[in-house]
Amino acid sequence: MNTSLKFVLPGCAVLGLALTGCQPELDETNSARGQADFSKYIAVGNSLTAGYSDGGLYREGQLNSYPNLLAQQFRTANGGEFKQPLFSEDQANGSGYLRLTTLDLATRAFTLGNVTNNLAVRGQNPTLYTKYTEPVQNLGVPGIRVADVLTPGYGSTAGNAYYERLLPTADALKPYATFVQERMAAENATFFTCWLGNNDVLGYATSGGVSPITSTATFTTNYTAIITALTANGARGVVATIPNVTDIPFFRTAGPAFRVKLETNPAAAGGPIPQFVATTGPLTNSPATRKVILTSDINNGGAIGTAAGRQLIPLTAQPYLALLGQRTGKAWRDLYAQARPSLGGASLGQFLLAQGVDTTAMFGLSAGNPLPTSLVLDDTEQAAVATATTAFNTAIRSQATAKNLGVADMNVFFTNIAANGINTSGINNTTGFISGNLFSLDGVHPTPRGYAVVANEFLRNINDKYGSNIPGVNASLYRGVLFP
Amino acid sequence: MNLKSLLFAGSALLGTTAAQAGGFQVNLGGQKNIGMGGVGTGLAIDHAAMFYNPGALAMVRQNGVQVGANATFARISHVGENGGTQSNLQKDIVTPFNLYASFGPAEGKWKAGIGVYTPFGSKLRYDQNWEGRTALTDIDLKSIFVQPTVSYAITDQLSVGAGLVVLAYGSVNLQRDLPLTSAQGNAHSELDGHADNTFGYNAGIYYKPSEKISVGVSYRSKMEAKVKGGDVTFTNIPASVASNFAAKKFDVTLPLPPTATLGIGLMPTEKLTIGIDVNWVDWSDYKTLDFTFDQPINGNTTSTSKREYDQGWTFRLGGQYAIGEKLTVRAGANYDKTPVKDGFVSPETPDADRIGLSAGASYNVNEHFGVDVSYLFEDFMKRTQSLAELQAKGTADDRPAGTYKTYISIPGVGVHYNF
Repeated sequence: MNTSLKFVLPGCAVLGLALTGCQPELDETNSARGQADFSKYIAVGNSLTAGYSDGGLYREGQLNSYPNLLAQQFRTANGGEFKQPLFSEDQANGSGYLRLTTLDLATRAFTLGNVTNNLAVRGQNPTLYTKYTEPVQNLGVPGIRVADVLTPGYGSTAGNAYYERLLPTADALKPYATFVQERMAAENATFFTCWLGNNDVLGYATSGGVSPITSTATFTTNYTAIITALTANGARGVVATIPNVTDIPFFRTAGPAFRVKLETNPAAAGGPIPQFVATTGPLTNSPATRKVILTSDINNGGAIGTAAGRQLIPLTAQPYLALLGQRTGKAWRDLYAQARPSLGGASLGQFLLAQGVDTTAMFGLSAGNPLPTSLVLDDTEQAAVATATTAFNTAIRSQATAKNLGVADMNVFFTNIAANGINTSGINNTTGFISGNLFSLDGVHPTPRGYAVVANEFLRNINDKYGSNIPGVNASLYRGVLFP
Repeated sequence: MNLKSLLFAGSALLGTTAAQAGGFQVNLGGQKNIGMGGVGTGLAIDHAAMFYNPGALAMVRQNGVQVGANATFARISHVGENGGTQSNLQKDIVTPFNLYASFGPAEGKWKAGIGVYTPFGSKLRYDQNWEGRTALTDIDLKSIFVQPTVSYAITDQLSVGAGLVVLAYGSVNLQRDLPLTSAQGNAHSELDGHADNTFGYNAGIYYKPSEKISVGVSYRSKMEAKVKGGDVTFTNIPASVASNFAAKKFDVTLPLPPTATLGIGLMPTEKLTIGIDVNWVDWSDYKTLDFTFDQPINGNTTSTSKREYDQGWTFRLGGQYAIGEKLTVRAGANYDKTPVKDGFVSPETPDADRIGLSAGASYNVNEHFGVDVSYLFEDFMKRTQSLAELQAKGTADDRPAGTYKTYISIPGVGVHYNF
């Protein structure tokens, strides 16, 4: 406030300062809305918008969702109430989630456990969650792709359980884009954020190339539809781009350890293992393509390339890596169980036959029993991911330009964090798993600290685009991973 | 598993600091001087000359005892770089004091005395859960110095003096949160120790060529406060990483800087005295603050935090006017140029250039006994450090970026008895 002495001294007379305070007031705390109107804010997006963390959606994550943090900061200007589909206190653990149960510093080994009490699960097969059909402003739906936003029935019991949860049963056929437009109109929304598209490429990446990538044509059509729905009544807002998924700890944690394990295989067990065999590409009815991967090509945690290695191993592969060289079919049986709904009724035997897999061969070390494609995101698949990410981000930016919206470039933001980390009030945060503070135990979704830095990046772009001055959150006050 | 930097790359574990002067070396040597903007090196007003200029003590006319105490109310506000909620200091009161007794033959050329005072100290407790909690949550530094002093008047116009400065008591308590969270909450560390006794000197020359003018020069030597075997206490450390926090004891050395002051006294009339002091504090030895631990913390037995302090300058102007036989009033001002460079400000000394204004009065009840009151208000310039600035200086990992603003208000009272 730069209070000059002539104003301060009378108020801070000897007893004045002693008894009433006379605390300096800093104008850095001032807030201004600029050209934006934050009075009614609606957030559209996927799991990131819902506050998904540690492999689940639960109350603490919802309360720390970036839209909730944004709404809290908007209230310093003219923001209003922000209604979220919170799980109740009694069902605070929502879908259930992962927690770190043990951590051994010496061996760097850890185990994750599932939180299974106080869930909000109302039905199994398919899993359904306790409904929340009150009007909400956080419309984040975990798992939703841009490819899904026009699909009737996506909110039915056969569709997405997180979307189904938000809809009255009678509305089960309502496509997400329609739901968004209705919510915008009903709330008379003035401001929105939209962070969609991650799952259109993430699903492909985390499944090692098994799930499809959305076509750019579908992405563009559907994204245009959702932005049209958001801007139909003149609301202003910010859209966000899709980060490079290959930077997340999900792809950077298991590989380096696996590489060391192969390189240091003891002489008694045959010495260093120079290569392993995996399949690549989607699951088909013909024997999948075998790919021999050199141990030296497994990414060691450095920048992806020939020097540090190109092949990425997802976190989900970890339980199977220990089985290398054993005569086991566990990886293929588990994959079969997961993929079964899309296999048209094939039995396990038929599935293995079609893939040309002989589970009596040495797992991972023979063409007969390779690592399934789902356990490696290889260089070819990464190229497909990169191409799609670029194409989708181009579509996002062009819609933002067409509708004069702000762009929170999360792609650039996270690429920078992956390279340099991000400092929050003296704490250095990185993309490291467990130790980095930003990513939760699923290796994909942020921790509360991670969501806080995301909220600040949104605010930076909102302030930039709309001439507002909404202060950021103090990200260091939000937790990283909880240690046992 | 890539957990190689499990405990947070870059966060120097216990890396913070010890505050010292810079920020809170409030020059509170004597109540009369405080009321006059802190001048005194060029004057021979009372027994506080032992602190301001031992050379002037021989020119102080009477023998006597004087005691003063101050209540320091510091108000610090901080806002992080992103703006948002303002964090404040919890409202603590620190009470620096001073005590002097001097004795010499009534018409003699020499005088001896002893002074006890508290030139370095700081107590700051930030808001619970403030954004810089992993840099510092609490600091409490205390020191008491004892100074036996002798002064000798070589001529009626020139006197010299020197004192042995003894760090008789020193304690440090530093607390911070660690960037580690478990279901029990945030992990926390506390360092608590006492400084060894140590010695230095304070010497000065005083010259009064006429009734109208006097000049003084004084110098305080550099000292080092060493804490050996202080206690390290960790709380709320998650069990899984407890073996990484095995340290129980720490050592640290804090430099107490050398100080030189040039003072001028002007006495245009019998009733009016004006003092001007220029004070130089050489903090340039304070490059880093280094802690050593008996057992590794997160793999390291040392922790270093950058300070890179510069030289500090203070300019003081003050005067007193005798309204009558019994009442004297005082006023003064000072300008302090901080030794803490941009990019090195940390929460334990959120220092900045500052302006002080003071006032005071003395009332002599009789020819022996009197009461002195003083009031000093210091206004620190608002100081902002960006993350980019901290990163450029390599200090971003142990202190928060943001803006500080500080006021300090110091009422004080003393009594003197001369004979």
